[in-house]
Amino acid sequence: MQRTLLVLGLTMLCFAVSAQQKFTLNGYVRAASSGEELIGVTVYVKEQANGVISNPYGFYSLTLPEGQYTVLYSYIGFKTKEQIITLDKNTELNVELEDEFTDLEEVVVTSERQDVNVVGIQMSKNELNVEQVKKLPALFGEPDIIKTVQMMPGVISAGEGTSSFFVRGGSADQNLILIDEAPVYDPSHLFGLFSVFNADVIKDSELYKGGIPARFGGRLSSILEVRTKDGNNKEFGGEAGIGTLASSVMVEGPIKKDVSSYIISARRSYVDLFLKAANQDNLVHFYDINAKMNWRANNNNRFFLSLYAGRDKFSFGDDFGFNWGNKTATFRWNHLFSDKLFSNTSLVASKFDYGLGSENQVDAFDWDSSLTEYTLKEDLNFFFNPRLSLDFGYHVTYRVFEAGNIESGAESIFSDTKLPSEYALDHSLYAGMEHQISDKLSLQYGARLSVFQSIGKQTVYEYADPQDNINPVRVDSTTYGAFENIKTYVNLEPRFAARYLLTSATSLKASYNRMVQNTHLVSSGTVPVPFNTWVPSSVYLKPQLADQFALGYFHDLQNNAYSISFETFYKRFQNVTDFADNAQIFFNEDLVTEFRQGKSEAYGAEVMVQKKEGKLTGFVSYTWSRVERTVPGVNLGKSFLANHDRRHSLNVVATYDYSDKWVFGGSFTYATGRPITLPTGSYEYGDGYLPDVITERNGYKLPDFNRMDLSATLYPRKNADRNYKTSWVFSLYNVYSRKNPFTIYTQVKQDDDGNVIGDGTEKEARLIYLFPILPSVTFNIEF
Amino acid sequence: MNIKYIYSLMLVLALVWACDEPITIDTATAEEQVIIEGMVTNTAGRNFVKVTKSRSFYETGSTERITNAIVTVSDETGNYADFVHNPSGEPETEGYYYAAGDFIGAIGRTYSLRVELGENVYEAQDELLPVTPIDSLAQQLTDDEDAIEDRGPGPVYEVLFYAKEPQERQDQYLFKFYRNDSLIKDSPSDVYFADDNLLGETIDDIELAGYYIPGDLVRAEMYSLTREAFIFYNDLNNLINSDGGMFSPPPANPRTNLSNGAMGFFQASAVATKEIIIVNED
Repeated sequence: MQRTLLVLGLTMLCFAVSAQQKFTLNGYVRAASSGEELIGVTVYVKEQANGVISNPYGFYSLTLPEGQYTVLYSYIGFKTKEQIITLDKNTELNVELEDEFTDLEEVVVTSERQDVNVVGIQMSKNELNVEQVKKLPALFGEPDIIKTVQMMPGVISAGEGTSSFFVRGGSADQNLILIDEAPVYDPSHLFGLFSVFNADVIKDSELYKGGIPARFGGRLSSILEVRTKDGNNKEFGGEAGIGTLASSVMVEGPIKKDVSSYIISARRSYVDLFLKAANQDNLVHFYDINAKMNWRANNNNRFFLSLYAGRDKFSFGDDFGFNWGNKTATFRWNHLFSDKLFSNTSLVASKFDYGLGSENQVDAFDWDSSLTEYTLKEDLNFFFNPRLSLDFGYHVTYRVFEAGNIESGAESIFSDTKLPSEYALDHSLYAGMEHQISDKLSLQYGARLSVFQSIGKQTVYEYADPQDNINPVRVDSTTYGAFENIKTYVNLEPRFAARYLLTSATSLKASYNRMVQNTHLVSSGTVPVPFNTWVPSSVYLKPQLADQFALGYFHDLQNNAYSISFETFYKRFQNVTDFADNAQIFFNEDLVTEFRQGKSEAYGAEVMVQKKEGKLTGFVSYTWSRVERTVPGVNLGKSFLANHDRRHSLNVVATYDYSDKWVFGGSFTYATGRPITLPTGSYEYGDGYLPDVITERNGYKLPDFNRMDLSATLYPRKNADRNYKTSWVFSLYNVYSRKNPFTIYTQVKQDDDGNVIGDGTEKEARLIYLFPILPSVTFNIEF
Repeated sequence: MNIKYIYSLMLVLALVWACDEPITIDTATAEEQVIIEGMVTNTAGRNFVKVTKSRSFYETGSTERITNAIVTVSDETGNYADFVHNPSGEPETEGYYYAAGDFIGAIGRTYSLRVELGENVYEAQDELLPVTPIDSLAQQLTDDEDAIEDRGPGPVYEVLFYAKEPQERQDQYLFKFYRNDSLIKDSPSDVYFADDNLLGETIDDIELAGYYIPGDLVRAEMYSLTREAFIFYNDLNNLINSDGGMFSPPPANPRTNLSNGAMGFFQASAVATKEIIIVNED
């Protein structure tokens, strides 16, 4: 299969080379106001009825026969720009697009504009519009892109108050979350109430759920790519927001006009102030800092440095505290080797760590755990002609998994303990071709070769029975030196996507992808918590594999004002990592004995209707899906519905530009309750304990979830006369104050103070729900 | 360091915003399970086997006692004791079986339990491991507001525990605390148990459950546990303190040493005991 694709690819390449006298038109597409590169701009050649899309760095390249052409540059939210070009030599053309002012009376009509929804080969992908996210109602008024991700078709959330999301039957750890190409291992603040993504600095964001291009790998189910702004290289500006729970400030400006710019943003919560007001001696806060610099040395060389750091800190009284955070750094060099060969070289570092500690003398300890990775990426785009382009590259990542390290205090009852670290090298080599076969048919095909190595320094133990988690017996051990190979896994991941245009406004798409995941999250709860560690594939853990087939129908109506997508998918997982019943996953020196790997199967159908223009914009998404797991050693080996199996999920999101002064937003979510393990009985044991009898994993469903949120954004009229603009966002969360289920737990029946009611033989189940109706206000200022 | 602590902290944290209320769950009626709680110790009066049945979730009152089982305990040297049902005939010890004669466990022996119930036989083994002695208990005045509200207005004390943890062997412990012979737990679902994986040699200033006033007789008991028994208590603790699987692992039945599908555990333990009487320090 693979070889065939490669041969096919090479054949195409020959065709391309043997063409007539041609010239290349290339350059960057930018926003006129800020100089930000625009990603995904349609560059359409009228005479050829054909076009390309600007790449993730805003670069486009078109190779055409000599001649005169009308080229249209169009992008949502910007005025379409038309350029007449006489192509008689290779031409560099950087284009700046003007903002499309929301002049409500005038509807811009562009007859030839194409829409990526129908024309693009990529299916199962959602663009997340940050500007819209900011106008939507948000919990505590804090706009959060992850909360919008959770409303996309094919995406399931575990409920409210979490930053986890589940894509097409995948678990929460199967999403690769990238900020400027650097992975973020835990995107949560305050255990998921907010995500680490500060809306002020996000430029754009995309979610890939299927038909994943060959340049991505490493996780089974999705890629969430978040790109931050480069910083305005025309003039100094900034924004500040004062919210109910957090405030943020962002400044940006040119270092040298049109050549280099910076952007710095910071956000900090003040939940702790509320807690203090509530007379609690606790500290809870988080912060985020984003900084980015970029320098256009010339059109052929561009440099970026992007940094992110965020952390949550909690302390309870003076005794106990914990914290977690991510740090990422990305250095990028965009280089044009020729007008057709674009190169991006990235050096990426990412670290996630958490700590728990107590300063109490008796049980003083300091527990740290971290995951650090360093990646070198070389990505190349070769633009043969408007019909053929090639992406290829090589990525190598070195990861250090520090499972845990305890340092005890001088008078502590604890002794110093260190769990052994693990190290891994992950290489991947990929090539992906984007190929327009005919006016109607376009293909994307390629493959990614993943070579994973578990490496020293490490001592690997052999167990009498590696599945015995009660009394693990180590029978032998092998010690490996630094960088010595312990275990290698080689996997080939074919990727394929096709688009067939039925009419200019309708298309059919199909895709297949295989994904491989060599980092495994040690968590058996529904929602991962920051204290869950990651481990690499090893002698005891095979790489997880997923194969996904997807089919879709795409339709644009009324000149792209509406777009409709309908997709179905079937996904099969192998070696999906789970844990034995009763697994002890924290600080377990014999953690490998808790690993269980099995199979999973998911399928579903998704519909999304989007309205992208006019006063009223928004979308409706609906997903029907099912996901089941079968893991030997879990639930007695019987199949069970996954924690994130929710049959129906419906989301409605809308914003309405009522006037220059007022914008209204609303969202509604309905989802079938997620499965939960509940007791079938109880019994007496020991000193007044009433344990439950558990018969089946995930045998029940929580009650259904539904919630409506509303918001109104006010742009005071005075803005017109000021050199700064202000706005107020009023949000109402859970408008009808529904008690939405978070989870159910059971206990001996007791009163609110924890005193047992009655003779202590009665049990009760209690439903936890998070937020009643919650109003919030955010004040924003832009200068 | 108990991980339960972290889970419950997260729950507490969630509950900063969250509320909870009783909900009636639609529990399917499952087959009744046989529950066996067996205890062999080196201390007289602490040896029994209790045989009961599970019930449906919302049933109240005592669970069904099984009174017609044939229960025997033996060790590997051939010692053998029949356990008979409720010799005293007291209603509160219904379902309990006690040794017919003098029976006491010995450190280092492995005990076997056999419970015969109609056609079904349930069996288990556990080793009676030594336990480290409790060096001392000490009282310390507390300023905890809840404690004073609960036990005041006079001086209220907490009691501290001191012991030496033998570093050369692997130990697991279960703790029980008593005030004037009544069992004390800070919360109904507390299980006090530990292994020594992270413990250093000196165990000082560990607070007992409960608060005490002058005149109280305080007793701490420390039971040795095998690895299997520790796992059982750990699983039990996880089960009764589960958040329903949101953050914590999904609830599961504790792993047991009992055969043939019975739930519960057969435990052999050495017991170390220490007592103090709280005095008014003023």
